[in-house]
Amino acid sequence: VNIVVGVSDMKVSKDPNSVLITYSLGSCIGIAVYDPIARVGGLLHFMLPESSLDGDKAKRNPSMFADSGIPYLFKSAYDLGAQKKRMKVVVVGGSQILDQQGFFNIGKRNHMAVRKIFWKNQVMIDYEDIGGNGNRTIKLEVANGNVWMKSSGQDYKKVL
Amino acid sequence: MHDVTKIIDHIDRLKPIPKVANKIMSIAEDPLSSMADLAAVIKYDQAITANLLKVANSPYFGLRKKAESIQQAITYLGMDQILDLVFIQVSGGNLKGEQKGYDLDSGELWKYSVSSAVLAKTVAEFKKIKTSHLVFTAALLKDIGKVILSNYVGQYFHEIANLVSSRNISFREAEKVVIGIDHAELGRMVARKWHFTGRMEEMIGNHHLDDHWDEDDIEMCIVYLADTLCMMMGISVGSDGLAYRFHRKVIQKLDLTEKDLQIIMASFVEKMQDVDELVQAA
Repeated sequence: VNIVVGVSDMKVSKDPNSVLITYSLGSCIGIAVYDPIARVGGLLHFMLPESSLDGDKAKRNPSMFADSGIPYLFKSAYDLGAQKKRMKVVVVGGSQILDQQGFFNIGKRNHMAVRKIFWKNQVMIDYEDIGGNGNRTIKLEVANGNVWMKSSGQDYKKVL
Repeated sequence: MHDVTKIIDHIDRLKPIPKVANKIMSIAEDPLSSMADLAAVIKYDQAITANLLKVANSPYFGLRKKAESIQQAITYLGMDQILDLVFIQVSGGNLKGEQKGYDLDSGELWKYSVSSAVLAKTVAEFKKIKTSHLVFTAALLKDIGKVILSNYVGQYFHEIANLVSSRNISFREAEKVVIGIDHAELGRMVARKWHFTGRMEEMIGNHHLDDHWDEDDIEMCIVYLADTLCMMMGISVGSDGLAYRFHRKVIQKLDLTEKDLQIIMASFVEKMQDVDELVQAA
């Protein structure tokens, strides 16, 4: 059963029949986590780097921002029995418009926010595909932890 | 390169836009027109009225009281929103189908188009621009050329994609090189064929701002920005991805800071559920 994760959304599951999927990541970033022992998976699709933009929005929907969404993803996975040291982590997205360079490069800023948070919390990334001008779709099979990614106009490929 | 005239001939395969849409567009662009003028045109046109109440009562329009008649819908919503609603009604027929060449499933181009229109309106309101129906309609219809070009893009996708990465050009520019015509240019031709106003023709035809554009044309800047933000947010984006040019001048012209842009994106996402319901209702 496909469980769709929308823009600024997060879902966790330990139902082996479920597949977590998020479509069409542009400058947003998708983070998939999986604990192979507890067989718990989670998928976050966040849009902006910092919740300081609007504290109320972050409270209503922590999945909108990297700094509120990532802790929310990990805590929700722990609640289902996942453990940090066992977790596999996939990070994809963060694309940019052509010639965007530094200005309003949300994709790059989102990526930097992930790196900062992961570095601080000593989280290792198992697979990463970031940047470029394409969009990406990612799905995680909760039964076995397989992660599939589809880039603009291409077929799905297994990345984990 | 393809026989471009054959591609252009495909414009005739689109579902025709009701003639009333042209009248409404003229009313919309005439500063002296009134609600009564608009009501007179809408009331007797079945193509417009058929689904109007259902869409008018969708959560997106936020009516406090349910509209029970066309007259009530017009009174409650006001000119600007009625215009948006009418163009949603007349556009869906062509935009709802799948566009395989762009890797868009059924309903995805429609969702992208409605979302850009809502975003354009959000930016116009943020900038306190009164003629927001103009940017709404232009943003809604700007990708109509993709409906015709989709088959060709599917056929030549790898050549187009290779050109985008090897020459660092936009997807639209690569369409032009490989196929001989691009979706924006085709959109301009569709607008002409449908007897849209010259203003609308220009806004659809140059929505990527790749040809000469008047930097003081704020409405044009808004349509471009809405498209850009939609791509970045990844709302039903196709195989062309984000491979379009970024024009920093637009942001400067609109006098928006990076924080403003992030606020606009965040506010839009909070409205997504209403937009989804609008997409479904229309």
